[in-house]
Amino acid sequence: MTNRLLFFVLMALSFSGCDMLETHPYDVHITGERELTNKNIQLIENKMQGKKTIRFAMISDTQRWYNSTEDVVKAINAHGDIDFVIHGGDQSDFGVTKEFVWMRDIFNKFQMPYVCLLGNHDCLGTGEDAYRAIYGNPNFAFTAGNVRFICLNTNAMEYDYSEPVPDFNFIENELNNLPSEVEKTVFAMHVKPFEFIFNNNVAKIFQLYVNQFPQVQFCLYGHEHQLTVDDLFDDGILYFQCPCIDKRIYLLFTIKEDGTYDYETVEF
Amino acid sequence: MEPTIMRPLNFKKIFLNLLWPLLPFTAQAQENKALHSILSKDSILISSPSVQNQEEDIVTQMPNRHHKYDKRVHRYRRAWEALIPTHTKLQYAGGMGLLSWGIGWDYGKRGQWETDLLLGFIPRYSSKHFKITMTLKQNYIPWSIWLGKDFSLEPLTTGFYFNTVFSDDFWTSEPERYPHGYYGFSTRIRTHVFLGQRVRFDVPEKYRKFSKSITAFYEISTCDLYVVSAANNSYLKPDDYLRLSFGLKFQIF
Repeated sequence: MTNRLLFFVLMALSFSGCDMLETHPYDVHITGERELTNKNIQLIENKMQGKKTIRFAMISDTQRWYNSTEDVVKAINAHGDIDFVIHGGDQSDFGVTKEFVWMRDIFNKFQMPYVCLLGNHDCLGTGEDAYRAIYGNPNFAFTAGNVRFICLNTNAMEYDYSEPVPDFNFIENELNNLPSEVEKTVFAMHVKPFEFIFNNNVAKIFQLYVNQFPQVQFCLYGHEHQLTVDDLFDDGILYFQCPCIDKRIYLLFTIKEDGTYDYETVEF
Repeated sequence: MEPTIMRPLNFKKIFLNLLWPLLPFTAQAQENKALHSILSKDSILISSPSVQNQEEDIVTQMPNRHHKYDKRVHRYRRAWEALIPTHTKLQYAGGMGLLSWGIGWDYGKRGQWETDLLLGFIPRYSSKHFKITMTLKQNYIPWSIWLGKDFSLEPLTTGFYFNTVFSDDFWTSEPERYPHGYYGFSTRIRTHVFLGQRVRFDVPEKYRKFSKSITAFYEISTCDLYVVSAANNSYLKPDDYLRLSFGLKFQIF
């Protein structure tokens, strides 16, 4: 009897340090790396300094597809010539804390730096708190060589007008403080204008701002799980949609010195 | 969302939670004072038609027609008496809060059923604020094996629990701004299932103060969202979607 009791106590102690003791699925108790957006932006900016040809991959909507996400990381690593990766948002399906931790641990196997946008599913419950803890501010920008990448939170519906989404103050601040080496611009967001999650009252105003930036190459988004290319505002700026990871496709863009760019859809 | 609205609300919740530990003692007080004294009065009324008031030396004749009334009151008391919690429980982790404390009822021929109502808390961690949770838990304990002396082993406990969080970050059903069924799940209500084991220690009568017996248990559980995440993903391993928790049950009577 005392042996059994001793066994019980020993077992209790052996488990007490592990991740299996969880306060709540939405507790935002983050273990491991944090503030990854800033860390990775630093890596990208240092790595790409002075470069005129930029090659990056885009993946999006990896929610609840852990196997496929693990595969895409291997595929992008195996390509061997990709400077960095942009994730278009929706890495979580429910906003549950562990979803962000699981995905982060997969993304950390990228051999190149990566950044993650905030998706509408990432906002559910305490999801945005988890996103902010692990990655940082959902509006961010970085310079890769001579290209400014402006990554925006466009999930207006998730905020019910309680916060400015998209944040024009952020966009204007970017416009007024562009680093001197910037010659081109790329926009990335989770939800495209005219989708109901976007604040469509300002869709055209948003595009007016986009058009003020130097040599806008294209805009990137995810959300609808399809592969599409549209000139949404008939002004020559293409909106590329990255499909969900379950389609087993990633997008590969090469922005070239001669002012053109290539894009590929890569199956894995 | 708005910190100005949340602050007073949270204070109320925290205050209510602080009162929670007092519950077992208030339950006991009821048992000792109110119930026993009232029940003994009842039995006098029913067993003898007359009651002698010793102070004034007057014999009062109780009319017969009061019998039905007394029985009704008796039944009424017994019905409410059944609602007196028979135990309190303390549980650590398990997706219901860092620590949860609450009351519960044992029932069934062998006391094989248990229902608990627990309040727990989630520390702030990296979120915007501290949260209170509530859990409704149903347990089934099919077997109890006497180990000798004052110890018994309950080799299997199983059941489920529903957990809700008091916070504006969550919704039970989607707000109207979304098309119907856009997300199709509740962020607020979680359903968990569990399997576990327990050891019961019957407190010898001379040492009894608050509890007749104390049961220590552990549980392995999972919740709805982890089950659907683990389905179709061999990447997730059991220690990703299974959760462990520990607890103590204090049997009041």
